[in-house]
Amino acid sequence: MPAQLAFSGLVTGLILALPALALTLTFGIARFPNFALGAMVTTGAYLAWAANVLAGLPLLEAAVLAALGLALVAMALDACAFRWLRERDGMTLMVASIGLSFVLENACRFAFGNDARSLAVEVARPMRWHGLRINHEQLTAAATVLVLLVLMHLLLHHTRLGRAMRAVADNAPLAAARGIERGRIVSLTWAIAGALAGVAAVLIALDRAIDPLLGWNFQIPVFAAAILGGLGSPVGAVLGALLIGLAEELSALVLPTQYRQAVGFGIILLLLLLRPHGLFGRAVIRR
Amino acid sequence: MSGLLEATDLRSGYGRADDTVRGISLALAPGSITAVIGPNGSGKSSFIKTLAGLLPARAGRIRLAGQDLTTLSPARRCLAGIAYVPQEGNVFRGMTVRENLALATEFLRGRAGVGPEREGTVLAMFPDLGQAWAKLAGNLSGGQRQMLAFACALLAAPDMLLLDEPSAGLSPRFVAEVMATVQRVRQLGITVLLVEQNVRAALGIADRVVVLVGGRLVAEGPPAEIAAADLGALFLSRVA
Repeated sequence: MPAQLAFSGLVTGLILALPALALTLTFGIARFPNFALGAMVTTGAYLAWAANVLAGLPLLEAAVLAALGLALVAMALDACAFRWLRERDGMTLMVASIGLSFVLENACRFAFGNDARSLAVEVARPMRWHGLRINHEQLTAAATVLVLLVLMHLLLHHTRLGRAMRAVADNAPLAAARGIERGRIVSLTWAIAGALAGVAAVLIALDRAIDPLLGWNFQIPVFAAAILGGLGSPVGAVLGALLIGLAEELSALVLPTQYRQAVGFGIILLLLLLRPHGLFGRAVIRR
Repeated sequence: MSGLLEATDLRSGYGRADDTVRGISLALAPGSITAVIGPNGSGKSSFIKTLAGLLPARAGRIRLAGQDLTTLSPARRCLAGIAYVPQEGNVFRGMTVRENLALATEFLRGRAGVGPEREGTVLAMFPDLGQAWAKLAGNLSGGQRQMLAFACALLAAPDMLLLDEPSAGLSPRFVAEVMATVQRVRQLGITVLLVEQNVRAALGIADRVVVLVGGRLVAEGPPAEIAAADLGALFLSRVA
């Protein structure tokens, strides 16, 4: 039982890692927590459903379209709202993101209705391995996330764009003085965050029904993961997501399962009290 | 008035507050070192930030070798030949020395003078950086960080180098080293504008000194002339 829970926890953590990475990337570069992330995930799931079920495309193609579509949505959010508020403080941007979250959620309700939808996925018998029950969706999710995390690492550390993203996150004025156009890098970061959230949306929708609150249910654990890892730290976000995934699943050993969502809240609360810069973030002293 | 860099009646400020830079006009001769001195809050750093494009000009003009930079982004000004070294946050602290140096030129493709030859010249000026290649810039000492910042700025093959208090927070030994570096920069044919609190150090290397008070230029001249003036009275003067 604990081994099964730990395995499920790791897979959940891997799925959380993508939106947590998206959250931490946009926080690093735009300096505010994007509360529209949950609604972006919901939008991505509906885009995948539209491509997969309405248009009849295979799941892989639907996932690629959802990722690209959500990348465009994220760039549009930046171009229409966040860019104009860039010189304001983080609180203003955060409130704007909450407003956009309602806009996205209700746009989904308007376009796709309130009924629960499902991707066209064939149900297959779970595999057995050393006593563990492993679903095909879990394997697909784990493999997809691991490949994307390696690609993201390569992007951030071994490409010009990645170095520019890290430079803008590290010191935006200096990056500008080094010839880096901040607006372009911020826009591309939103696109990458959107694509990551889009893939996460498909992986989540493989396992559960799509409804207008799909992403909202993931908002708390994703924020807990990014805060646990130290907002702004990509490696921290991934490790934080794995820890949150494990904690949520293993909590079933001691807590009734309906309290699972409370685990994320509890971890955020403890972190804010004991280690506000997260487990892997750097403490910042502001004067 | 003609110079490599020309500022004409330049005004700028923060947010909705009144102007911090209140109509400064200045022309910098090519290959010269100009020091900007003044009391705290006199607009020195705001002036240099406005030249670099980090603080938008509210009025006036900025030209570099005849090209109008006034409305260009900081990144475009960098491509046009302006390098800026801020007082604080002069390196990317979370990145290695190697990454900092790579970023100095990665986004300047097409700028004349950027390339391996310049890299050779600059790295020869700062041999210590070679030993710190893989270190995080945030873990370097203040003096080493300043040298890395200089190296990054010079790799961009600028025509004009803007330095905001390069000696701030450094020990006297490093201050001397920084000032010597500024003089070596001039030998590369680069014009330097240097904002300094350390008046003695600035007067020691500058060809010309500009005194700002209350966001306005209240005096300018050769260092000997400014040194002979009553700086205390000048600093305390308030321009209506």
